[in-house]
Amino acid sequence: MLLDVRDLRVEFRTRDGISRAVNGVSCTVDAGETLAVLGESGSGKSVTAQAVMGILDMPPGRITGGEILFRGRDLLRMKEEERRRLRGAGMAMIFQDALSALNPVLSVGDQLGELFVVHRGMSRKAARAKAVDLMERVRIPGAAQRVRDYPHQFSGGMRQRIMIAMALALEPALVIADEPTTALDVTVQAQVMDLLAELRREYRMGLVLITHDLGVVADVADRIAVMYAGRIVESAPVRDIYKAPAHPYTRGLLDSIPRLDLKGRELYAIKGLPPNLSRIPPGCSFHPRCPMARDVCRTDVPPLYEVSGDRGSACHFWRECLDGGEQ
Amino acid sequence: MPEQPYEPEGAIAGTGMGGAMDLGASEATTLERAPGGPPGAGPAGKPRSLWSDAWRDLRRNPVFLLSALVILFLVFVSLWPSAIASGSPLGCDLAKSQDGPGPGAPFGYDGQGCNVYTRTVYGARTSVTVGVLATLGVAVLGSVLGGLAGYFGGWWDALLSRVTDIFFAIPVVLGGLVLLSVVTSNTVWPVIGFMVLLGWPQISRIARGSVITARQHDYVQAARALGASDSRILLRHIAPNAVAPVIVVATIALGTYISLEATLSYLGVGLKPPSVSWGIDISAASPYIRNAPHALLWPSGALAVTVLAFIMLGDAVRDALDPRLR
Amino acid sequence: MGRYVARRLLQMIPVFVGATLLIFLMVNVMGDPIAGLCGERACDPATAAQLKREFGLDQPLWRQYATYMGNVFTGDFGTAFNGQPVTELMAAAFPVTIRLTVVAVLLEIVIGIALGVVTGLRRGRPVDTGVLLATLVVISVPTFVTGLLLQLLLGVAWGWIRPSVSPAATFGELIVPGLVLASVSLAYVTRLTRTSIAENRRSDYVRTATAKGLPRRRVITRHLLRNSLIPVVTFIGTDIGALMGGAIVTERIFNIHGVGYQLYQGILRQNTQTVVGFVTVLVLVFLLANLLVDLLYAVLDPRIRYA
Repeated sequence: MLLDVRDLRVEFRTRDGISRAVNGVSCTVDAGETLAVLGESGSGKSVTAQAVMGILDMPPGRITGGEILFRGRDLLRMKEEERRRLRGAGMAMIFQDALSALNPVLSVGDQLGELFVVHRGMSRKAARAKAVDLMERVRIPGAAQRVRDYPHQFSGGMRQRIMIAMALALEPALVIADEPTTALDVTVQAQVMDLLAELRREYRMGLVLITHDLGVVADVADRIAVMYAGRIVESAPVRDIYKAPAHPYTRGLLDSIPRLDLKGRELYAIKGLPPNLSRIPPGCSFHPRCPMARDVCRTDVPPLYEVSGDRGSACHFWRECLDGGEQ
Repeated sequence: MPEQPYEPEGAIAGTGMGGAMDLGASEATTLERAPGGPPGAGPAGKPRSLWSDAWRDLRRNPVFLLSALVILFLVFVSLWPSAIASGSPLGCDLAKSQDGPGPGAPFGYDGQGCNVYTRTVYGARTSVTVGVLATLGVAVLGSVLGGLAGYFGGWWDALLSRVTDIFFAIPVVLGGLVLLSVVTSNTVWPVIGFMVLLGWPQISRIARGSVITARQHDYVQAARALGASDSRILLRHIAPNAVAPVIVVATIALGTYISLEATLSYLGVGLKPPSVSWGIDISAASPYIRNAPHALLWPSGALAVTVLAFIMLGDAVRDALDPRLR
Repeated sequence: MGRYVARRLLQMIPVFVGATLLIFLMVNVMGDPIAGLCGERACDPATAAQLKREFGLDQPLWRQYATYMGNVFTGDFGTAFNGQPVTELMAAAFPVTIRLTVVAVLLEIVIGIALGVVTGLRRGRPVDTGVLLATLVVISVPTFVTGLLLQLLLGVAWGWIRPSVSPAATFGELIVPGLVLASVSLAYVTRLTRTSIAENRRSDYVRTATAKGLPRRRVITRHLLRNSLIPVVTFIGTDIGALMGGAIVTERIFNIHGVGYQLYQGILRQNTQTVVGFVTVLVLVFLLANLLVDLLYAVLDPRIRYA
């Protein structure tokens, strides 16, 4: 097991009180496996990722419980120095908006090469050569010349390729990609996603793909974890989930994708808004928006029921949901 | 042309007038929001105006309350100085020169044998008058000129920008020395007039900027599309939204004008004896600092507290009015 | 780049002319330019008329200004009240004020930035609150009060420094006056650095740098500081011209015979040529410093392009 997150809890102190961003997330990623984490903004996807990487802003953030095992060792108990060495070399992250995630006043060559200087003790010259190599691997034309350019001189797609190159530079075992294509034009999205998938296969990395785009997931992910209000509400292999979701929230998400074969019909939308994380509803946090909600949902928090060997759902009525539910 | 990140407020810093500059306007980043927290967290509030929101914040801000209290006291003292000090600030007795505290004179006597306490109390009137009137003049003149430039643009805007550049290139204290050294009238008016003359470009830049921002708002475009007249758009739609930054800068500037008046009086070109001003007293006391430091310290302290109160008030108002904080 | 500089230099001309003309008018219209020439007494009418002719003061003002500026560009700044050429006064005064300004700017850089970084990284802690309060006090207390108090404490009460600076005005003697001159700007540099650091600290690229596993030190110096100092450097650059013009008060307190001292004397004796000459140079320094700041800005931030 490459990554094993157990009952992770994260809070933020805000003006309106304590915001519970992550409330007991458990998930695993095997070497070479791709896990897609799905959810609306504010569902706790990014916070979970930041907690794993150890780049959470603390304060206001605070990890209040749980374990994050990386190759069997709990990251939360590690010394900061040891954890730092792991970042970039053992696990790396791809951020959503490359323009703001890259340092505007350093050349991309400096930013890529820096990894080799710091982690591998290379000379600046050798690091620069490595940077050119990397830029060629992510197919940036004219890499040898462009290595001196600054982030703002690249197009959005090219910048995201540099971001990917930076994450893969030291061939880490685990890469977390936080909405890697959301900020890009639709035409470029597919190219970048394909490149990422290809390199992942080549390096045999575990990949956590955070997204709210179900279309992307179907192509590249092995398994899906759906998050809502800081919890994983459904976790399943990709094929199963598309065939029959076992949680009404997943069903809602799937139904809200426009489909060509249903053209002309009104698009489904999940009613209401995601809950305020400082005031998460009691019971099942999804109940105010759930078409299947009953009295028990308002009082009892559903555990993650085992649907089958590799599948779980945090819905009291997952059976009904699997069977088609009531809409 | 590169964006000039800070106003070339040239000339100003080092004189105390620079205090009107942005005191770190982007303090607003204290905003502590959970990343990924749902947008618009908090009770789906009823629409509140910027001003009532700001007032609610201010009422609970100890810095604001403290500085407002100090300012109220200063205003009271400058209106009725005789309420807390007996005698005349001009009734000096050379026999008491450099004496320590005595009855009715808790701060002692200065080199001329004047009662330091009485003079310090009466000095407040000068400072408050100069500060308030200069600020009012600067704010009105600067907002009108800058606001019109921001709204209409064109040649007027270009001309005004050049003119402000010229004013910024002249060091303030220097301009004051040159202009005021030849004035014979010993009232506050030349000092106030000079401050308005050299101070308005600062406000006009702010007003111009905020009017340009406000002009681009959709509701202004909508009003224009509905055929509202320029004057109506300016007064009803733009002014209320553009006035906040002007108020903030003007409040902080008030403190710096008080400081500038004292500086000019210290240099001998602001007010001159027999006027009563902290700057005059400090200047008069400086030759005797060895023997009578109290004559220097009390007016200096009063001056510092006054300027500090206005600057902190401006700071607090800025924090409250800055929409980025909420 | 060359074209940008050329355009900026062209734009400076009207500002330069406007500012010097303004000072020229102030001095001429409001003061009596020959008042200082007959010593402490007023000149008798015949001498006054002759002096006026001699100095071209019977000409219209615009022509006087043109003549004066024409002379300035040939290096002739006129004569000071004691008969010395103004250029000689400048040669004596500017080195002193430049030394004073250098000391002030160095103090701004070293103390201001250090305090700003420390507080920016520890926002809300006692150090931060304390320094922030201190900067507010420094900004609020007028420079001449700060100067007099420091003179009183260090010079008179404790005897660490000599209360007034010798005519040589060495760097060592100028440390305390430099601190006084820099005080308000220093407080601004602290606040500016603090805000900038605190703002950039949460930025995405700093997070990326952390995620790359860089040591904290490297994240701060190479990524955070490099970006945060851009506005600070430009502020300090713009401040150079302002400091030289603002030195009047400081130089008066510590009896330093620099630019401010000469200007003060010139104003007191209503010597037009001294005042206008010194102000002309100061305005020029101010404008050139601003231009340099703009150019420096492009070096520091590769995103800025000159069109």
